[in-house]
Amino acid sequence: MGRLKSRQAGKKFLAVTGLFAMGVMLLLPIFVALPALAGGAPAAGGPPPDVVAAQEAEGVEGEEVKVEIGRDVYYKTEGPAVGAPAPKTADTEEFYPRYNFESRVLLWVANQQHLYYGSFVLAVPIFCMCIEFAGLVSKDKAMAKKYDQLAYDFVKISLTAYSLTAILGGILIFTFLTLYPAFFGYLSSIFRPVMHIYALMFVAESGTLYIYYYGWDKMKDGLLKWLHCSMSVVLNVIGTVLMFLANSWIGFMMSPAGVDEQGRYLGNIWHVIHTALWNPLNVHRILGNMAFGGGVVAAYAAYRFLSAKNDEERAHFDWMGYIAMSLGVAFLIPLPFAGYWLMREVYAYRQQMGITLMGGLLAWLFIIQATMIGILFLTTNYYLWQALGRMTGGERFQRYIKYFVFILVVGLLVFITPHTIVMTPAELKAMGGQQHPVLGNYGVMSAKNGGINAIIMTTIASFIWYQRGNRVPAVKWAKFGNIFLITFFVVAHLNNIWVACYGYFIPANVRIGLSVPQVAGTLSCLFFGSALNLAMLSKSRELGPIRWGQIAPRSQYALIMLATAFTWMMGLMGYIRSSVRLFWHVNEIMRDNSPWAYTHTIGFGANVISFNVLFFWITILFVFWLGALGAKKAPVPATQPVPGAAPQPATGH
Amino acid sequence: MTWLKLVEGYMPMQMISELAGSILVFALVNWALNRAGMGIPKFWAGVGVWIYIQLYLKYRIYPPIPFSVRAIYGTVSGCGIFMWVSGSEGEWQEFKRPILNVMDGISGFHKGMRTAALIVIPLALGGFAYSSFLPSFEEPIELRTVHPAPPATTKVHGRTFVLQVVENPYRVNNDGKYDQAFTDARIVEQAMGRLMKDVNDPNYNPWDPNAEGYIKYVREGGEIFFQNCHFCHGDNLNGRGLWAYAFNPIPANFTDAGTIAQLQETFVFWRVSKGGIGLPGEGFPWASVMPPWEQHLTVDEIWKVVMFEYWHTGYYPRTWD
Repeated sequence: MGRLKSRQAGKKFLAVTGLFAMGVMLLLPIFVALPALAGGAPAAGGPPPDVVAAQEAEGVEGEEVKVEIGRDVYYKTEGPAVGAPAPKTADTEEFYPRYNFESRVLLWVANQQHLYYGSFVLAVPIFCMCIEFAGLVSKDKAMAKKYDQLAYDFVKISLTAYSLTAILGGILIFTFLTLYPAFFGYLSSIFRPVMHIYALMFVAESGTLYIYYYGWDKMKDGLLKWLHCSMSVVLNVIGTVLMFLANSWIGFMMSPAGVDEQGRYLGNIWHVIHTALWNPLNVHRILGNMAFGGGVVAAYAAYRFLSAKNDEERAHFDWMGYIAMSLGVAFLIPLPFAGYWLMREVYAYRQQMGITLMGGLLAWLFIIQATMIGILFLTTNYYLWQALGRMTGGERFQRYIKYFVFILVVGLLVFITPHTIVMTPAELKAMGGQQHPVLGNYGVMSAKNGGINAIIMTTIASFIWYQRGNRVPAVKWAKFGNIFLITFFVVAHLNNIWVACYGYFIPANVRIGLSVPQVAGTLSCLFFGSALNLAMLSKSRELGPIRWGQIAPRSQYALIMLATAFTWMMGLMGYIRSSVRLFWHVNEIMRDNSPWAYTHTIGFGANVISFNVLFFWITILFVFWLGALGAKKAPVPATQPVPGAAPQPATGH
Repeated sequence: MTWLKLVEGYMPMQMISELAGSILVFALVNWALNRAGMGIPKFWAGVGVWIYIQLYLKYRIYPPIPFSVRAIYGTVSGCGIFMWVSGSEGEWQEFKRPILNVMDGISGFHKGMRTAALIVIPLALGGFAYSSFLPSFEEPIELRTVHPAPPATTKVHGRTFVLQVVENPYRVNNDGKYDQAFTDARIVEQAMGRLMKDVNDPNYNPWDPNAEGYIKYVREGGEIFFQNCHFCHGDNLNGRGLWAYAFNPIPANFTDAGTIAQLQETFVFWRVSKGGIGLPGEGFPWASVMPPWEQHLTVDEIWKVVMFEYWHTGYYPRTWD
């Protein structure tokens, strides 16, 4: 017996050591690269071999090459201009080889598809991490198993998507190389110090993902399970670093740094990566990916729910859809604030860029974006109200839906009122000017902030309703708590409306600061309101079970709509972000001289975005189908109540 | 419905309040009718509220709201009403019942309705298709970019101005230093109309003989405005000058929160200097007949007139914190 135990312990030790060694090897590329980065990578970004050969032919051989000092366009520091200047392109086959089709659209589609899949495979492991952890700490064995199975289902879907991401990445690079060789060559020369780190990170990511997936059953108990869960943290760290590196490319294209006015690399790769917009882009993309990933998984669950053959399946996929939607929406709520920060940094970087985005050429696209945001929030609320229907006691909240609808609709109407109105000249004359005296006031930021905050606060209130669906607080101070909670929300709404109106009577720089009390009110509702509600529900009386699977099919269509809206909005925002460079490949450094250096019409842009969305959904349906092919069913009895508590948003239940 | 006034300065909130009030009245009436056992069927309640909102937007709000915006509002309010009537299963069943009754033709009346619908709906669609193909003599819609992004720099009278950093040299405090807070405190008040804070105080009244510094420059800007700009932009700076309606679109209304109030002073300086002819490519279709005022005014005069526009409208130029 003792020998058996010691053999088991030895096995465990070996497994842990092996895993540790594997982790170290996977992270090796980062450690190896660090000294090169720290040393400034002197060779990096230097002139390409052909330029060097030309210099040598000109007779500089043997002489000491005089390195010019350049001034960083953003950081204003000086450094040796070791890189080649940005190519001055012309509309020729040499710089822009082409098929009989618009190269920009080809690149656009390749890029967007890669981004969709990239976002999905970066987001899903974060969900897996959260869900696996929830299962790990859950005291209820049945629930723990359900969570574990759910996390496994998630990662299985992402594994197929991972291969597609890699394939699409290859297609993207080939598209760059064949259609934009000069631009791609320049960008590669600038990012040369980190190009291989980027590639090696993929190796690390794949390795970790495979061990994580294939080791699931082997590492299901005790310490090994904890190690398995920790591996998801490593996986996500690698994925996040990968995304940050990819973001540095687009950050550089929008707000270049680390180069001089001619675009010559000045030897400091950190400056090239850490551009003015890098940080806000990173935060915005993490949140966006999470919301998008949640939406896609929720759509998967909805698809499986609608095609389910029995009550058990319906119950399982109803639950899965709810969890995915909650996770997605938890990241959707802070997304507008991250977007606000990004726009603020854009304005701070270049006023023209900000105006082109929000007041000028691309302003109408922002109205479409506002509409999509509105759809997301309205759909989320609608789903939650439908979900109340499967809870005993949920109907007591449904009679108030009309009031929530009113707040949401008014908030959305204000939020999407365009500043630049589309109208016929006759309407323009009848209106007496470009701005409408009543609606014009909704077209500016002060009112729009009020609109979106009202929508978010209402969504939070819907979540609180949902948490209470089948439960009644039984703490001693429940009455006081309810009064306090209602008063809190009412005051937050009044504060929001008051600040939105007050914003018209004060200078713009003070007005910008007013968004702080508005956001503070909303975030207080989110954190304080939810926490208070949870505290009140810590002792609660259950009115009845949650009837998983007995939700109206309308709710599942709402989930599919939510996911489609996420996808469309992502495509739209990517287009806006890219278009704002106008006729520059790299803003103010490398000019786009291709025949396609113009901004598309809104209609054309919308059609390409729709095509991308459609293409993505067709291919992801294939991924779903693959996932369903080998699916292990994890049925949940339809009548089984969720133990302990009603599901909580974001944190699972 | 112009007899019920939309009060200037309060119009946006007035519109929302009126809508909220009328919806509340509907809810109360419905509640009372329900209590009396004469509740309005959900279907007609939903349709009725939607029609009311469309009529309100079309006939209550003036000047008329362009169709594109009414279409957006109509769609959103339609979605809202759908969310309301299908929020719970019971309500959804109640809402659907009249539609299903007609489709099933449960009585002679419903059969008649069904037949009528089968005739009217295709005819309406055909009529819509026919009318959309009819030639129209209306000018086409132009998506005009009202505030195109300004260049990084602009050259006026041989001097280069970096728009992101340059400051109005006349926006100064009593020590002659640039001070926006000081000047902001001296603009007219925006309340029921626009009024000087104290007409007897030379610190607030530009036409006071003792006015000095900033407030004196405002007067000088005003003189320039009334000599050159008011013919189009109007005495009240609301874009309703004598010649305003000779142009299409009519001149900018500075009293609107969407024009100079949300622009940097340097943006206005650039637009005044370069006029419509100096609009960048982004400003397509360049629908502006404003002359390039640099050909008629000095740099100082342009700065002063810009400052007057802000003073008179009670707005602050946008700044970066």
